[in-house]
Amino acid sequence: MTISGVAAIAGIGATEFSKDSGRSELQLTAEAVRSALTDAGLAPQDVDGLVTFTMDTSSEIAVARELGIPELRFFSQVNYGGGAACGTVLHAAMAVATGVADVVVCYRGFNERSGSRFGQFSVAAARQVNTNGLDNAWTYPMGLGTPAATVAMFARRYMHLYGATSEDFGRVAVADRKHAAVNPDAWFHGKPITLADHQASRMIVDPLHLLDCCQESDGAVALVVTSAERARDLAQPPATIRAAAQGSGEDQFVMTSYYRDEIGLQEMGLVGRTLWAQSGLRPDDMDTAVLYDHFTPFVLMQLEELGFCGAGEAPAFVADGAIELGGRLPLNTHGGQLGEAYIHGMNGIAEGVRQMRGTSYNQVPDAAHVLVTAGTGVPTSGLILSRDWTRAGHP
Amino acid sequence: MNGVPAGSHDAIMERAEQIMALGETARRRGRDPVNQPMINNWVEAIGDRIPFYVDPDAAAGSVHGGIVAPPAMAQVWTMGGLHPQRDPGEPLYAAMSLLDDAGFTSVLATNCEQSYGRYLRLGEELSVTTRLDSVIGPKRTAVGEGYFVTTTNTWYVGEERVASMLFRVLKFKPGAAPAAASPADALRPQVNRDTEFIWAGARKGELRVQTCSVCGRLRHPPGPVCPRCGAAAPSYTVVSGRGSVFSYVVHHHPPLPGKELPLVLALVELDEGVRMVGELLDTAPDEVEIGQAVEVAWQPVDDDLTLPAWRPSPRVVEPDSRVVELVETTHPSVDLPPWELPVTATLIVSGAIATRDFQDVHHDRDLAVERGSQDIFLNILTTTGLVQRFVTDWAGPAALVREIKIRLGAPAYPGDPLSFTGAAQEQVEVDGERRQVVAIRGANSRGDHVTGTVTIAVP
Repeated sequence: MTISGVAAIAGIGATEFSKDSGRSELQLTAEAVRSALTDAGLAPQDVDGLVTFTMDTSSEIAVARELGIPELRFFSQVNYGGGAACGTVLHAAMAVATGVADVVVCYRGFNERSGSRFGQFSVAAARQVNTNGLDNAWTYPMGLGTPAATVAMFARRYMHLYGATSEDFGRVAVADRKHAAVNPDAWFHGKPITLADHQASRMIVDPLHLLDCCQESDGAVALVVTSAERARDLAQPPATIRAAAQGSGEDQFVMTSYYRDEIGLQEMGLVGRTLWAQSGLRPDDMDTAVLYDHFTPFVLMQLEELGFCGAGEAPAFVADGAIELGGRLPLNTHGGQLGEAYIHGMNGIAEGVRQMRGTSYNQVPDAAHVLVTAGTGVPTSGLILSRDWTRAGHP
Repeated sequence: MNGVPAGSHDAIMERAEQIMALGETARRRGRDPVNQPMINNWVEAIGDRIPFYVDPDAAAGSVHGGIVAPPAMAQVWTMGGLHPQRDPGEPLYAAMSLLDDAGFTSVLATNCEQSYGRYLRLGEELSVTTRLDSVIGPKRTAVGEGYFVTTTNTWYVGEERVASMLFRVLKFKPGAAPAAASPADALRPQVNRDTEFIWAGARKGELRVQTCSVCGRLRHPPGPVCPRCGAAAPSYTVVSGRGSVFSYVVHHHPPLPGKELPLVLALVELDEGVRMVGELLDTAPDEVEIGQAVEVAWQPVDDDLTLPAWRPSPRVVEPDSRVVELVETTHPSVDLPPWELPVTATLIVSGAIATRDFQDVHHDRDLAVERGSQDIFLNILTTTGLVQRFVTDWAGPAALVREIKIRLGAPAYPGDPLSFTGAAQEQVEVDGERRQVVAIRGANSRGDHVTGTVTIAVP
């Protein structure tokens, strides 16, 4: 039994991406879910499963009420912040593959800029009365408590080990913003940056500049998952879920896995190994990828963990425009979370679907396979989406 | 003075930098060579009964092949005596004078860490050098605002380094501690029964690392069940607090509750092998380096919360370049037999004289009271000798003392007995020699007089 090829993403939907949506998070979510269902050619009455993030403030039943979804046979929440993104699709695909549900919608919606901002120091994260709160006792009271700061600790070590530089990180930001510049849905549409802009941007947490950090955004994204077979009869060309995986590594913490022999993104390495094994594909088979980019250094480290290059080789890998459209592996063709919006990785999955449909603003010609990853530094997840390879006769 | 106001922080640091830049002083010879009468006096005062310090026959049959001096006497051989010649250029003296002039007139010794390259033989002539390692402050402390002054002494026989000592004092203005900036803003950690021991240790200035009492694994952050052996029998080790920067960040934005920006935060790998995060104090953002030696510092927030932090470590220069590897932890940790020691005026005075420490507060009650003390009190060298005796009484004469590292606390006055307790903790291998680390504590009615570790070579 395998998850590979059993289910597909049949619909995608989103609100506008803004800094102040002017409406509730539940309303944003309801709009995105309705939009995704319309995209798929389905109605709320067709939905019998909902999956979201544990961090989301709109429960499955609240979303079902607003949309008039009558009955839910499957509902699930995936843990660990942005690490949940591809995990929602995995859970939905498992429900579909086992016949537990027929149509499952994955969603994430928030006012992350106009409401509670993740980039600030989160007192609430340290005050949780659970093991996460206890884990945060070893960093937050000392002053290490913003996402940028926790990532900067990994980034500094990476620079020390491999001689990577801030400019190497900056190349990810330049590629993202180049792609966002031609995406009308992106917050930074029409606003590319240069490496010099990146270097001149202010320090947030040394070694991270402002332009190493993703945006803060308001918005919602939803994805409709159903069986590959049913998807073929719906309104859009399906993006087949060729592989879907979650991963948590040894001595895993949320953003602060600082106690392993060498610190890195071992959990993403696990996700990668699982994805390659499930799909039978290799990094060379990927035509494009959406790598979670809340902070640029983790994009470099993901390239290594996923096997696109060896340890310490990512700075060379991203040089010379290799990750820009037309390069060897165009990354984050929607503009990423630095350029399009920060919707906790869900907008990246939607871009993966567009690449498989051939409808991206930065379409990679004949793209047949796309790798999408979720939040890094936390227990995470990943997907390989393929063009409808059964129907197209693609290997 | 370059426009820097005399007595200001900038003036203190400027002068301190000058003293530090001088490096090690010229060697100063001790008055007498290592000799039996002074050893006899010391052994009588401390009550040490190891034969090879005093009995030529027993010494001839020991690993030493002859009489050797107790390691804790290293400094005794070069003490200045009753009428010391004060060299104004001597770094510790110069730093003390500088801070006296700036109004930081009181002094409290906080740390004394001695390392011994080998045992000393009768007739050997010692000389000593001093260097100023750091002047750090101003710091708010429980006794008042002040500066920590750290020096290193190195003892030589001929060209051979035979011992070294890190010595730290707090020079402070009594009672002048301003309230912390905004203690209410400090973020408090979640604590439960699995983690409370670390915060309890922090309140006492002890850096504790969870240790499985079955398999000995050291682990941080802690948890209730050992991931290696599965035992739910956690204990802890009081660790050295020394380590090096594994990675670091400089936080500029956004604001953090209770912290001044930019804030240097370090992920430190302790010598014992575990890592911890904390603020790196007294370090400019552009001065931090991965690999840099640091040691634990404590940031008291209030009575309930003290945060571990780090500061650059003025490492003691060892006679050799040391490769330390943790090979095992003693399990279950072996407790030393407790020792109750009556503290009498006779012990204090005989110890002071036997260690050639003629400061009046250790023998003249009237002058001690005049200086704000309740009575005469034990001097550091006697405390060091007692700590050594406590451990060698337990370990036996075959165990050679390599290090005595102590933190000083409450004074020991006559009539207030000292209760010594200790526990054999981890074993380490240093350049091929297996060593046992023994944690010790000597407490009286006022609290901890002395805490620290003694490291002995295991035969």
